[in-house]
Amino acid sequence: MSDDRTLLEVEGLKKHYAENATLLDRLLGNERQSVKAVDGVSFRVEQGETLGLVGESGCGKSTTGETLLALEEATAGDVRFDGESVFEMTGAERAEFRRRAQVVFQDPFSSLDPRMTAGEIITEPLVVHDIADREERRDRAKELLERVGLSAGQVDRYPHEFSGGQRQRIGIARALALDPEFIVLDEPVSALDVSVQAQILNLLEDLQEELGLTYLFIAHDLSVVRHISDRVAVMYLGEIVERGPVDAIFEDPQHPYTGKLLESVPRADTSERGRRVDALEGDVPSPRNPPEGCRFHTRCPYAREACRAEVPGTYDAGVSGQRTACFRAVESHEYWESDPLDLDAADVDGEGSTAEADD
Amino acid sequence: MARDLLRVEDLSTRFFTGEGQVNAVESVSFDVREGEILGIVGESGSGKSVTALSLVDLVESPGRVTAGQVWLRNPDLAEEFPDAADGEFVDLRELPKGLRRSLRGPTFSMIFQDPMSSFNPSITVGEQIAEAVEVQRRAKANPRSTRSRTQGYGLASYLVDGVVPGRDYTEDASHERAVELLEQVGIPDPAERADEYPHEFSGGMLQRAMIAQALAGEPDLLVADEPTTALDVTIQAQILELLRDIQAERDMSIVLITHDLGVIARMCDRVGVMYAGEIVERGTLEDVFDDPVHPYTQGLIGSIPDLDDPAPRLQPIEGNVPSLLDSEMDERCYFADRCPKAMRDCLEPPGEREAGGEEHAARCVLVDHEYDELDALPDDYFEPEGGDR
Amino acid sequence: MSLLDDLLGVVLRGVSGALSPRTIRNLRSELRSSSLAKIGIVLLVVVLLMATFAPLVAPWNPTSQNTSNARQPPLGFSSVENRTTQETVDGEVQIINEQVQVNATTAHPLGTDGLGRDMLSRVIYGARTSLMVGLLGTLLAMVIGVPVGLVSGYYKGRVDDALMRVADVSLAFPSLVLAIALVGLFGQAAVPVPDPFVTLGIAEVIRGALSLPGGLTYPTGMPETFTLPGTVIVVVGVVNWVWFARVARGEALGVREQEYVKAAKSIGGSDGFIIRKHVLPNSLTPILVLGTIQVAAIVLLESALSFLGFSGTTLSWGFDIAQGRQYQTTAWWIAAMPGLAIVFTVIGINLVGDWLRDALDPGIEGEGGGV
Repeated sequence: MSDDRTLLEVEGLKKHYAENATLLDRLLGNERQSVKAVDGVSFRVEQGETLGLVGESGCGKSTTGETLLALEEATAGDVRFDGESVFEMTGAERAEFRRRAQVVFQDPFSSLDPRMTAGEIITEPLVVHDIADREERRDRAKELLERVGLSAGQVDRYPHEFSGGQRQRIGIARALALDPEFIVLDEPVSALDVSVQAQILNLLEDLQEELGLTYLFIAHDLSVVRHISDRVAVMYLGEIVERGPVDAIFEDPQHPYTGKLLESVPRADTSERGRRVDALEGDVPSPRNPPEGCRFHTRCPYAREACRAEVPGTYDAGVSGQRTACFRAVESHEYWESDPLDLDAADVDGEGSTAEADD
Repeated sequence: MARDLLRVEDLSTRFFTGEGQVNAVESVSFDVREGEILGIVGESGSGKSVTALSLVDLVESPGRVTAGQVWLRNPDLAEEFPDAADGEFVDLRELPKGLRRSLRGPTFSMIFQDPMSSFNPSITVGEQIAEAVEVQRRAKANPRSTRSRTQGYGLASYLVDGVVPGRDYTEDASHERAVELLEQVGIPDPAERADEYPHEFSGGMLQRAMIAQALAGEPDLLVADEPTTALDVTIQAQILELLRDIQAERDMSIVLITHDLGVIARMCDRVGVMYAGEIVERGTLEDVFDDPVHPYTQGLIGSIPDLDDPAPRLQPIEGNVPSLLDSEMDERCYFADRCPKAMRDCLEPPGEREAGGEEHAARCVLVDHEYDELDALPDDYFEPEGGDR
Repeated sequence: MSLLDDLLGVVLRGVSGALSPRTIRNLRSELRSSSLAKIGIVLLVVVLLMATFAPLVAPWNPTSQNTSNARQPPLGFSSVENRTTQETVDGEVQIINEQVQVNATTAHPLGTDGLGRDMLSRVIYGARTSLMVGLLGTLLAMVIGVPVGLVSGYYKGRVDDALMRVADVSLAFPSLVLAIALVGLFGQAAVPVPDPFVTLGIAEVIRGALSLPGGLTYPTGMPETFTLPGTVIVVVGVVNWVWFARVARGEALGVREQEYVKAAKSIGGSDGFIIRKHVLPNSLTPILVLGTIQVAAIVLLESALSFLGFSGTTLSWGFDIAQGRQYQTTAWWIAAMPGLAIVFTVIGINLVGDWLRDALDPGIEGEGGGV
């Protein structure tokens, strides 16, 4: 893209939630449990690009977004923004970071304070950082409203007077108020109707070009992620199982989970009826008690003994610079020697059935 | 071609709220054939869910079905109620209310979007399904007596049971059948899981349980309102597969309501597209996907990012979903204010016209004549003075 | 004084926030449909007017005694009293017991008490004491309880545990015992507050200009001060803060999970900023409703304390009820009139509280959901 600068670098990020840790629990002898929402996530985001972070519910993608912005306290790991470690920042540095890195949230209904007008919501960041006086702030609010496709005359309206799509635009305007460089978009279009979703996606793309923004786009909708991202990382149960350039991931997935995920998405096409889909069996395991070895082995059609015995590292795969956490990418791994695992009705050690992508 | 099972004609449902009359469903007509899956697709505010509720008589105050007929193919009922009949079909809206309700189970059944709120959290899943089975069993044994269905379930027997442990509301046979149903919907270890509570089930499992409950009466028609919207995509694939399987096994009809065109493409034979309470286009899957006539359908398809072939830019539909308040709806094509091809003609309600293929119809003047720029409405024709909403 | 500025700003902002156009619409429609709400408002307005304009409305000075007029029954009733008098007949002192009929007069429509003081005027003035304690006491309880609750609910964890244990301890104290203890320690702290109407001479003027039907003139000379029972207000505030804390905590627990709180954090807002700007205004509605209910409860509590003699003022409904105990069979109106006043006031407050609760019940906000 533009500058070849790594804007964000995440290394080994972990966020565990402790359950059963109150005084009462200790008295009752309840075992202290740890929900490993994010368990060792590493990736980079280059300046000017959009990294898509995709996964199903419970995979930890939203928690990753919040933790790397230091909105939640990380359990372990390091996050470097423009070279500086976020978790070690002092007060003034932290304030500076907050100006440069912003968030857009998912729920257009609860992400705006119902007691504040649109103008107040948009300029709250300016108030917090003590920038500009009341007049200037109001002008800025009007300017931002226009920029996101609303009219400046609505600056004194309350959130309940806007539709879902319009509220999301207000949320985006708020994120732009401080002229940030980096925006984490946490499921920004998931709660919107399809037609409105398209409007917002176009807006986000336009803004990125106009303002030179860098996006971390978190979503569960694969089509949307494909559309907007330059590179993609796929998460499962708190870990990144595959990452790489967007076209490579979608057309030549290297990790079995990615493959199954893509296979499961119904296409809006008349040929969809005839398409054979081998649905992934079972449910996502609990993050309190992730499976040993490769976390996906309990549902993987290619699972073998080695998958249960050893935790996979990250390996180069495919032809376009993908990285995957699957032994199958390594030709010489013991995986190929070990016995297939007996999963109920799974097609183990077979050709499997990766979807024929519709052309 | 299969016979029609259900014919809906000019169905209208209105909500009489404090803020005015809301025209949720406006003169909707469609038919459902035996053994087919009919899809109804629309965004929020389109009226699709209310249509589903109207079919099975579940619309609650302040709403009610205000007009239209729901013709069900049922020769027995047609014979018994000749005033409400037309050949083998009987108009459900002309039947006594109690009778309509008794059709829920053996004829109609419904599943909803959020399984967690459809189950009582304090009763085991198996028990709830067994209750459904029991009611249906009793209904079959005694079709007209609605009282007997819930006999033994009242407060009195609850109290008596506490003192003198007597018979359960549900017979053992119902419990067994419940376990059978759980197995049929693909729940592993059904006998153990039947004794578990809803919160111990995952979203996908609970949706399966809801389907099991809906099948208790062996319905001819299953209405599924956004059954997979709340589920992850891999679980969605499982549930859709399940629905296809049981539909094929039982030759059941399904009315599938969703906003997801991909789900429609996967599951349905025929489709109806709803907007602002009307069906604006309907036809076979090919009609609607490959040859859409109505600009809304075209816009909807254009808004979806294609998973396999991403376009550089999406073509959204500009503007917002209209208000359904009667006072704010003019007599015109309801899509005209967002339509890129709006013309003078569109200031009149277009009415449904046939558009090519036998099944294909749309409420749009473009069926009959091409878009004429000279006749076009100016872009800001519908804008109210002073800013938009 | 910027803290005070802030606080005032927050309250005003909060109240105006709570009164959004939609809220006002809800309030009015609920009022239209509920006759109980209308009754409640009427009752409350009457009490408020009585209390505010007491020196202009009360026919007599409530403290002026007139033993010859003592124990006069209210209009429509008459009572029979035993009078014992001494007479000297032929050099011998004779004690004469006679049954004397005492009649009501229009001058004292609600009768008089044991010392000949007009009951109507005492009831009117008593409203002042009750409402003052009710409002100020509730305000104090709010000022203590709401911040505690908000902090507790927002931070959760240890802070929450600690504060809620303090609340539990506070709840465990019986309020009357605490009242007695505090009064014993600090005295009654009864503060005489000059009555604005009297000191400014307004009362004189208006009263002089009016005249009662029947040719009686409106006697002037109303009390110059009224007593603010300081300790009672403090007691009441200290006893009742927990209810506000609980409600505020519950609201804060909900609000903190909202995405706009996360958004505020993400733009760099400090915890204090977030609590002031986001959590408080969005928690106000149930707090306001609780406030009205608390005023009713506090009116009752004050009556009990005055009844026991702890309030330090004799111009109170509770005090009159205490007075009236000895006359239960003979001059029942001395206790009954203030008693009725309490009943109507509390009913009025509760009905208004119901109206607020029903009208402000959060309905479905915004659109969303499938139609």
